[in-house]
Amino acid sequence: MLTVSAQVKQTLASLKGVRATLETFAQIEQNNEAREAFSSGAREIGLVIGDLEKRVGLLEFQEPQYKGF
Amino acid sequence: MPMPEWLNILLRSAGLFAITLLLARLIGKRTTARMTFFDLVTVIVIGVTAAAISMGLAVSTAGGLIALAVWTVFPALIYVLAIKYKTVRDIVQGKEAVLINHGKILEDSLLESRLTPEDLLSELRRKSVFSFADVEFAVMEPSGEISVLLKKDSRPVTPKTLNIAAGRDSVPQTVIMDGIIMDEPLTAMGLNRKWLGTELEKAGVAPENVFVAQVDSTGQLYLDLFDDAIQVPRPKARELAYYTLKKCQADCELYALGTQDSEAKRMYARSAGVLADIVDQTGPLLTK
Repeated sequence: MLTVSAQVKQTLASLKGVRATLETFAQIEQNNEAREAFSSGAREIGLVIGDLEKRVGLLEFQEPQYKGF
Repeated sequence: MPMPEWLNILLRSAGLFAITLLLARLIGKRTTARMTFFDLVTVIVIGVTAAAISMGLAVSTAGGLIALAVWTVFPALIYVLAIKYKTVRDIVQGKEAVLINHGKILEDSLLESRLTPEDLLSELRRKSVFSFADVEFAVMEPSGEISVLLKKDSRPVTPKTLNIAAGRDSVPQTVIMDGIIMDEPLTAMGLNRKWLGTELEKAGVAPENVFVAQVDSTGQLYLDLFDDAIQVPRPKARELAYYTLKKCQADCELYALGTQDSEAKRMYARSAGVLADIVDQTGPLLTK
């Protein structure tokens, strides 16, 4: 049984993967509009990642037996 | 000693061949691309004159050449004038004639364009229009071609009419052709041979086995191999990113429901909202 913090960590890892993909697309994309969409998407995912990481820290504090990131 | 007839014809024909080729270049390319009646007449006159001179049927060779020169220089001159002046254009190329407006056939312009109702209906049928009432607007172009605009409700559905945002589809660059790496398109995409090598390695393919490779705007490599028995996986990075994003959004919504902490609930809900926005924004670009 996964604890909440472990689940959130999984989501976090997926989000980091997507952010990396979008950043790669933003690098290669030639069209300005599409590039802007990719890079702003990556930026906003970064904010979500920050929020979730804070939450994971708090959860680990509450469930210390599952610590480890 | 006079030249034998066969040699005479051979020399004339060879010379005229070269001259006609040159004159054809002088007139320009638009004659064959969009023939008007005037263009057709010019081409026929040039052809007949050239043939007559080379067979020795012209009154005199010099006279024939003069006729040829006039019939190429004048059209070339008129085309140049036509580009500059609208009145010349209307005389030389003719104007387009509106044949159907708001679903009503205009009999007068039909008569002016020397079209019978049968001609019009047959032209429409050729454009897969079987009912003239479906036509909003039909025009006879100066070249005699009929262009048809269907009424809005009879037109094929496009993403625009359905209000769907369609992703931009830039033209993919061909980076390998016939097993040879093309450097110019690669550089145009801001990529290099090293990147291509890495991507090919990821697909498990040697560059010399690739028949055609294309890169789309997000750097996805599409391959076709010489050996058609080998299956190359289609790149899935875009779709994968899209569905992962959607899953993360759903996860956040789930966490928002699951937690007791009201602050955490708000944070999760906000994150889910942000991710939903990103899905909306990049979705059309990521899914095809």
